[in-house]
Amino acid sequence: MKAQAQHLQRDLAKIMRRFGRQCRGQSKVFVSVVRQTETQLLTTGSPVVGLARAAQVQVQSAAQLTAAQRQRWATQLTVALAAHQQIATQSRRLTHGKPLPQCKIVNAYDPTIAPICKGKSNCPTQFGRKPGIIAEPATGFLCAFALPVGNPADPSYVVPLVTKVQHAMALVAGRSAVAIHSLAGELALNDATLRETLHTRGILTVGIPQTVEPLLPAPTPEEIRRMLHAAGLHGKRTPYQVQLACASGYSRPVVESLIASLLGRGAARITYKGQHGATVQMGMTVMAHNAATVVRIQHNRLSTRAQKFRHLLRLKRHNSNEFKVVKN
Amino acid sequence: MRLLRHLQHWFTGQGFHLAVADFVPETHPVRQWADTFPWAALGAAVERSVAQRFPTPTARGRVPVATRVLLALELLKHELHCSDEQICSQLRTDLAVMYACGIEEVRVERSQGHFVLPEVLAQFRTRIDAALMDELLALQAAAAMEQGLVSPAHLVVDTFPSEQGSQRVNDAATL
Repeated sequence: MKAQAQHLQRDLAKIMRRFGRQCRGQSKVFVSVVRQTETQLLTTGSPVVGLARAAQVQVQSAAQLTAAQRQRWATQLTVALAAHQQIATQSRRLTHGKPLPQCKIVNAYDPTIAPICKGKSNCPTQFGRKPGIIAEPATGFLCAFALPVGNPADPSYVVPLVTKVQHAMALVAGRSAVAIHSLAGELALNDATLRETLHTRGILTVGIPQTVEPLLPAPTPEEIRRMLHAAGLHGKRTPYQVQLACASGYSRPVVESLIASLLGRGAARITYKGQHGATVQMGMTVMAHNAATVVRIQHNRLSTRAQKFRHLLRLKRHNSNEFKVVKN
Repeated sequence: MRLLRHLQHWFTGQGFHLAVADFVPETHPVRQWADTFPWAALGAAVERSVAQRFPTPTARGRVPVATRVLLALELLKHELHCSDEQICSQLRTDLAVMYACGIEEVRVERSQGHFVLPEVLAQFRTRIDAALMDELLALQAAAAMEQGLVSPAHLVVDTFPSEQGSQRVNDAATL
């Protein structure tokens, strides 16, 4: 296998060398030559996938490797295979002469990001990514974010975000009674399957408009019973939790304020390259925002509504007489 | 001085010592902001992830810049709206930034040009993947929940669009 791989590498290098010679000194790239070379590379490089898969199998059965080494090699091979598949798909599209869409970003080999807002090249929102956020509405602390490739449907964001929050909750050592009682969302939570999934996890899905009538912030006992019955959460969630969930609800101004805070920290314009860069930038922005939120909580710089909500949730109030120690 | 040992050789100057924490007031926004992070857990998570994905074959070579410094710089970059060059430059001159980066004590040395190069920060960024980013955020959220500052009992979920900044056009894109 090693000899095969070396032979293949030599052949591919030879093709690339020939391509370089053809374009040398011309100060431009010939599209026809690029297409010819891509076709040759795809044909000659086709055994790469087979070799990589065979290597994956051999790595798993190699006795001389440690478990950590096996895992590392397996990860690297999986990543390489995924990259190969993506490059091969894009290459085939190019060599078949299929034009790239107007909204194509960066270069031909970057993962395609579907635009959410089309416009002209000088338009500020020609291209876009659509981050999903899950937050505590009272203070605006963001518990998790998601940045999927493309523009998937809104319901697809919800379960991964809830899973991330539950992972964070699992890391909490001191407080045992931490659980998600309810989840509010506008369009994302109208999906019946999604609501059922959340109810199975013991999460109420209130605050979602099912009729044109506005939701009551203070529901009657009958209404609470009906909601608990519809969600199948009798015994799991108390009427008090339903009341709190309704009071919290979904508020567009709350979400807008979170978005404004993130946009103010640079989320408006993704300056790092590709999906990986966007994830890092978004993640760092969210963490910076969270730290500022914690400072606001510690100094009681919260709205009256947030303070009341925190009181109802029995959350800790900052003690100004607390002895200040250097936490750095 | 714990972090000092992990920094580059040019970090140790010839001048007198300056205790950073004594200089930055407790009411300084950057100090208050930096004190909210669970740095030990975040640093350990980054080091664990990087060691697993990019194992160093040898222990030779210069000791790397501390993870805490790079992670703090990356976060400060977004909080203070700076470029890589600007935040690295601020680290050289701004004691609040030094405090946020966990540097407790420095030696005054005018001839030093920089503490951390922007290229090092960019390289550090390439080593952060989506899984690690999620882990860091989970650790921050867990720390806030543990302190009783935040409760995940009632949450709100939504999406929002943001602009894609990079709009480079090259020959390959017009094939």
